[in-house]
Amino acid sequence: MKMRIAECGLRMCLLLALVVTTESLSFAQIPEPGPARSVNIPAVRESKLKNGLTVAVVEKRSVPLVTVQLLVKDGAASEGIKKAGLADMTASMLTKGTKTRTAEQIAEEMEFLGASINSGAGWNSSSVTIGVTSDKLEQAMAIMADVVLNPAFTQAELDLLKAQTLDGLKYNLTQPAYLANYAASVYTFREHPAGGTAASVESMTRSDIAGFHGLRYAPQHSILIFSGDVDVARANSLAARLFDSWPRTNTPVVSRGSATSVAAGSERAIVRRMVVLDLPGAGQASVNYYTAIDSVRRSGNEYYATSVLNSLLGGGYSSRLNQEIRIKRGLSYGAGSSFGWRGQNANFSTRTQTKNESAAEVAELVIAELKRLADTDAAEAEINPRRLVLTGGFGRNLETTGGLTAALADLYSFGIPAAELNRYMTSVAAVGPSNVKDFAAKYLYRGDIIIVGDYAKFKDDLTKRFPNMKVEVIKIDELNIESPTLRKSDIP
Amino acid sequence: MKRIFAATLVSAFLLAASTFAQVKITPLNIKERSLANGMRIVSVLDSSSPTVSIHVWYDVGGKNDPPGRSGFAHMFEHMMFKATKNMPNEKLDRLTEDVGGFNNASTWPDYTNYYEVVPSNHLELLLWAEADRMVNLNVDEANFVSERKVVQEEYRQSVLDPPYGRLFWYLDDLTFQKHPYRRGVIGDLDQLGAATRADAEKFYKDFYRPDNAVLVVVGDFDQKQFDGWVDKYFARLPKPASKIARVAEVEPEWTTERRFEKFGPIVPFPATAIVYRAPKTTSPDIPALRLAESILSGGESSRIYQALVRTQQIAQQADLDLELNSEGGRMSFVAIGAEKGTSQNLEAALLVELKKIQDSGVTAKELEKAKNQLVARAIAALETNDGKATAIERAIAYLGDPKAVNNEVSRLQAVTAADIQRVMKKYFKESNRVVIHYNQEKKVEGEK
Repeated sequence: MKMRIAECGLRMCLLLALVVTTESLSFAQIPEPGPARSVNIPAVRESKLKNGLTVAVVEKRSVPLVTVQLLVKDGAASEGIKKAGLADMTASMLTKGTKTRTAEQIAEEMEFLGASINSGAGWNSSSVTIGVTSDKLEQAMAIMADVVLNPAFTQAELDLLKAQTLDGLKYNLTQPAYLANYAASVYTFREHPAGGTAASVESMTRSDIAGFHGLRYAPQHSILIFSGDVDVARANSLAARLFDSWPRTNTPVVSRGSATSVAAGSERAIVRRMVVLDLPGAGQASVNYYTAIDSVRRSGNEYYATSVLNSLLGGGYSSRLNQEIRIKRGLSYGAGSSFGWRGQNANFSTRTQTKNESAAEVAELVIAELKRLADTDAAEAEINPRRLVLTGGFGRNLETTGGLTAALADLYSFGIPAAELNRYMTSVAAVGPSNVKDFAAKYLYRGDIIIVGDYAKFKDDLTKRFPNMKVEVIKIDELNIESPTLRKSDIP
Repeated sequence: MKRIFAATLVSAFLLAASTFAQVKITPLNIKERSLANGMRIVSVLDSSSPTVSIHVWYDVGGKNDPPGRSGFAHMFEHMMFKATKNMPNEKLDRLTEDVGGFNNASTWPDYTNYYEVVPSNHLELLLWAEADRMVNLNVDEANFVSERKVVQEEYRQSVLDPPYGRLFWYLDDLTFQKHPYRRGVIGDLDQLGAATRADAEKFYKDFYRPDNAVLVVVGDFDQKQFDGWVDKYFARLPKPASKIARVAEVEPEWTTERRFEKFGPIVPFPATAIVYRAPKTTSPDIPALRLAESILSGGESSRIYQALVRTQQIAQQADLDLELNSEGGRMSFVAIGAEKGTSQNLEAALLVELKKIQDSGVTAKELEKAKNQLVARAIAALETNDGKATAIERAIAYLGDPKAVNNEVSRLQAVTAADIQRVMKKYFKESNRVVIHYNQEKKVEGEK
């Protein structure tokens, strides 16, 4: 016991007595693990319809559930800031009516089957996903095919979706963490907010939506993924019956909006710029670091180096950021990092929330961890558990139909063959400390610190801790997302 | 995020049995035993994946916070990851995360659970660690203070930061009148700050003991070997002589509607909460209330969504949640306005929907839809070992019997449309509710 005897009141003595009792139960002897069983990577059976649609099937028969996803390899990357949100709104409109079903009928029929249907878009892809018990797969898939192939895109439904999207945006723009990412999408990454801006959502028309659907939703750029309690023959016959009529289009090669490179310079500083979005009344400050990484490919081996790097720095409970900010200092409920992949480049970010008063201290800690990553090889004893975090999570993820579908969709959206699933374990195991350090040194610098919070509460401390850093302070009602400087007065 | 509090989460427990439509739901083959020290052991063998889920469930929750220490049970849950006599701080993370597993814990109004999923060859280590932290916890002052700050940040992140975080906090503070559920699991920032290590020692001694715990293990193991490990690590833990303190306060009947106007610093749209008191989880009315909840609020074809979000377009979100508590729960309707929404029209619109069912009942098709939805959810909840363990643990908490997991679907199937109308009239009464209107506070003159 670490407590001194002088502190031993009645309660402590009882505790001590208990310790003495249990000591005889040989608790000090920690047991050894037994022999490990290996994780099964399920087989993926692929085929193609005549129109070019890829059908992928993974059988998993333990629970009577099936997840089916129609993945279109095009998303927010193909919209500009003037039409930000177009990909997601197009996907959302699919379930809001077809030529033969109203929005109410779609919801009613799916829910009567006990099934779910969700549609949406990310940066790289758009998707419609259903979850259904296997006895009702045919009925649910008929509705799924109808929404993908025959959407009505009525004006009344678009008006409602626009109103809801604007309300959602107004809500989100009161939250520090959302605001920080919203600003970084333009300021650091030279992209746009994929959830839309007030102006872009207001401007959306039926022809924008129908145009995106007509051009981008093409069978030869799509994959239909089945996973769960369904065999290959049943899945393939359903796919053929429902999607054979989907006409191949003359879609040009998918044009990805690629991030403009940050102006080259010799400066090696980790932080290039520091921005504060001042949100008086904020309950916490959101403290983030962002940097754009050019010319790394999701399909290349560097992906596995970034995965181990992220696991070490900010992926999972015992990662360094959470160790330093939460576990050692109690400054936050959690801190983490992530890579947002774009095919030919990636967006790196770290995130945490803390009381306003400690925002500057937390920013300092984040920068120190980025520096340590680039300066020092991690010990093998530290890095090996972080590899196991990844491979263990990967194996668990494949235990659910939803997890299987997500893992496959991630690969397909970057044009990576499904067989990559079989390389995951060995590829992660092959990443060494020098791969991580080299990647950090090569890419994780010249980024931006963006803090969103109640500035008055951390202004002095920020000046004290970063005396040589120019801090751009933008009041929240002066934020202009269409300007590269984020300022209203700098409308382009 | 790790080590969650579950104050505003709605528990969706219900589980599967026999056959429904064409889907075959295999009942869980649950093995139970009790140790001489009062600890209960529940296990289900399933070797379909090389993992095992380990849950230790303690019969202590937010309702057991000591006086003047609102939020303490949840804060104490965090301390259970600190040092023991045999383990340094965060050793549980070494035994789980570092071998490709994970761990977590959550505090509910009625109970606290600690759980891990690990490769199955690590089961014995986790049983050792769980037994160790049940009796040998040893948190030093520095770690206690640091973790107390983490929980205060958790409070800020869940209550002060989100635009409607304070509304959910009021939902606890303003509804129960006497029962300690009124404190809410996340508690109070100042009372958290006042907590001491001596409080922790007393709480640990009072509630963390084998006769207040259930071990639930689901996954890949050898039954004989598992039973041997239970004997080795748990069976010989002593049973304390003292009695376990239980909540004595009984919530009086709600007899008149109570109304509140509350304000927050950043409230983008008006909101309304209407809370009705619900019966205990053992009440025979619970299955009918669960189906009523689904008919009113389960998905985009539900009555509330159709009326408030799509037709009237006064709400961007509107949900009715049945919160299960062993000593009496709540049915909480929470709506966040759209541009046309006000606290008043949101309230009025909900009341219209409730009255429609009270006057005219529900259709046979609506009832069948709700049953289909809940059965599908029950199947999905059992997809993983951890899902099965979670379902078992809730059956223990709310029905006192792990095997209740296997007849939950048949309880739902027995509900009739008349049952729905009856419970709607019985519980959704003006005298049995609390209404909270939540809006933006007035800005000080000259402030932006």
